[in-house]
Amino acid sequence: MAKKQKNTNYISLKESRAIIKYNMKQMKHYEALKRKKRDVSEYTATMRDENNIIEIDGLKTCFFTDVGTVMSVNGVSFDIPKNKIVGVVGESGCGKSVTSFSIMQLVQAPQGQIVDGAIRFNCDELGYDADGKKQCYDIAKMPTVDMYKIRGKDITMIFQEPMTSLNPVFTIGNQLDEVTLLHSPETTKEAAKAYSIEMLKKVGISMPEHVYKSYPHELSGGMRQRVMIAMAIAGNPKLIIADEPTTALDVTIQAQILELMRDLQKQQGCSIMLITHDLGVIAEMADEVVVMYAGRVIERGTVDDIFLNPLHPYTVGLQKSKPLLSSDSNKPLYSIPGQVPNPINLPDACYFKSRCTHCVAKCNGGYPKTVQVSDTHSVACCLFDKSE
Amino acid sequence: MFKYIVKRILLSVIILLGVSLLVYSLVRLMPMNYVETKYASQIAQGTIKDEDIEHFLGLYGLDGNIFVGYFKWLGNMIKGDFGISFKYEKPVTQVISENMWISFAIAFVATILQFLIAIPLGISSATHQYSARDYTVTVFTMIGLSLPTYFFAAIVIKLFAVDLRWLPVGGIIDTGNSYDASFVGVFSKLGDVLYHMILPISVSVILSLGGLMRYTRTNTLEVLNADYIRTARAKGLSEKTVIYKHAFRNTLIPLATMLAGILPSLFGGMMITEEVFAIDGIGRMAYKALVEGDIPFVMGYNMFLAVLTVIGTLLSDIMYAVVDPRVKLVK
Repeated sequence: MAKKQKNTNYISLKESRAIIKYNMKQMKHYEALKRKKRDVSEYTATMRDENNIIEIDGLKTCFFTDVGTVMSVNGVSFDIPKNKIVGVVGESGCGKSVTSFSIMQLVQAPQGQIVDGAIRFNCDELGYDADGKKQCYDIAKMPTVDMYKIRGKDITMIFQEPMTSLNPVFTIGNQLDEVTLLHSPETTKEAAKAYSIEMLKKVGISMPEHVYKSYPHELSGGMRQRVMIAMAIAGNPKLIIADEPTTALDVTIQAQILELMRDLQKQQGCSIMLITHDLGVIAEMADEVVVMYAGRVIERGTVDDIFLNPLHPYTVGLQKSKPLLSSDSNKPLYSIPGQVPNPINLPDACYFKSRCTHCVAKCNGGYPKTVQVSDTHSVACCLFDKSE
Repeated sequence: MFKYIVKRILLSVIILLGVSLLVYSLVRLMPMNYVETKYASQIAQGTIKDEDIEHFLGLYGLDGNIFVGYFKWLGNMIKGDFGISFKYEKPVTQVISENMWISFAIAFVATILQFLIAIPLGISSATHQYSARDYTVTVFTMIGLSLPTYFFAAIVIKLFAVDLRWLPVGGIIDTGNSYDASFVGVFSKLGDVLYHMILPISVSVILSLGGLMRYTRTNTLEVLNADYIRTARAKGLSEKTVIYKHAFRNTLIPLATMLAGILPSLFGGMMITEEVFAIDGIGRMAYKALVEGDIPFVMGYNMFLAVLTVIGTLLSDIMYAVVDPRVKLVK
């Protein structure tokens, strides 16, 4: 154990050089892949279920850092069905955001790269193949140039920080029009303006004409997040990725924004991937929940599955550490003991092992398999793995 | 905005007074004065009488203490009289206005070239951070930045003017040539001047690229990591639009203010470059005047620079408000 710790916290000059050399090679390789012109057939695949908008399969996204390769997303698989809100929960650094950036191909390049897996995006443009299966794009293999058509139109994103997510030197109108003008080039400037004002109205901004002409610094945080949402729905997306959309806002605005998002989702008929670490938000908004820990999905199910019948000890711990109004205020809030393992050199065992209070002998074996407990509910924990 | 500008101008009057007092005191405190420099050999040989020296000092206004001299100068200055240069024996304003333009021409062309080269270099080296291109650009511009002007200029003269004989050693026009005022004469004179300007302009561009390039690179890197750049990418904009529309407008904010700040260097001349290439620009004139203790000219030149600096900083504040919508000049 002591030796292992030494390895991760201190690296010799020789090791450091080897890492940098390896990183340079890897980054060059993956960057070249993204730039290479490829035939459409190379990044099309078929959907498992055509009612899904996104199918993520064994996604691995890693960061080549100076101390070694960090597996931020380590084999994540889940689906986002059409017209559903899927909540992704987990603590900071568990790979929620990196998963969402991978879907958009927005991982901080060149250090961050998708190295394996598939992100199948169900796109209407593509028809059915010979076997009658729905064809789709595999975003993990798509060249960046082709990704421009999907970003902002079919898949859009709302970010965590509304205060810094808008360009300070352009007016709101300019930034909103850009989306319309980019994705439907035949639109005139006047039409784009009218559409942008309509979008601003839709997100509940009371003086859309005035806001249209304003600069971002003239608006409050809540207003800016509304503008971001307007930008996200402007392209009529099939999927909106909301990366902690309410974390930076105060509680009253949070409720408004969440309600707005739910209404818009119903109106537009799109799916939302809602990333948050607030279980209350998930319970209120989501249809399905994905719980992530250290770059892996540890439990998946409907809201009822996760909240009424949590199986994984981590999910149980998360629920227990949620403050309740009815709880005895003198008792300190429960917290899961221990820390997340170092993402470099992860052990070949359950990552939650060192913090788990329910460990069994089997936990020392390889990483637990995902067990399907019911049609909708699956968990990656040895406690539920009945096979030998 | 108008109020702000008026306030700044009134404030700058006080600044200029302070500057003039400081500069005057410094020049007067120099160990040699103009009279002693001019008659150094006579003094050494003893062929000049002390009374004559005293007489000359009185004539040049160098008798009495610093304050008397300063207020005398100030009084004349307020009346618009900057005095007559000891060394050039012409009114200071005339010397400045006659020699300013050649310096301005060099600095103007050099600055434009510098911006045109350094900004794209900085941006491309930021977008390709840690690549071979980034390192190459950085190494070469840093070499330029660290070379002293007189050293680099001497090498360039030796190589291109003396050995290869492609370009002239110095001066503005060939000594043998004389041009009439006709159309052809003016144009061939202009061509001759341009031919002579190639070396000094290249030297000053190469030596000043580094700073601006690194400045652009750092700013671009900072902007490229901003959240709104990610938003722009998430919209589906191409990398080119992201960098040259969304990032560049933000990189421009510090650059635009810098552009206004270079005003004094545009008109002030480059002492060393002009001296090495024997160009009678204002920088070289000021250098010679300073060495000989020509107080009216040194004062006039420094006040000229000070006014330009004050205007430059005011301009850069106004530029801030122009390029950055978050800045409003109210006070």
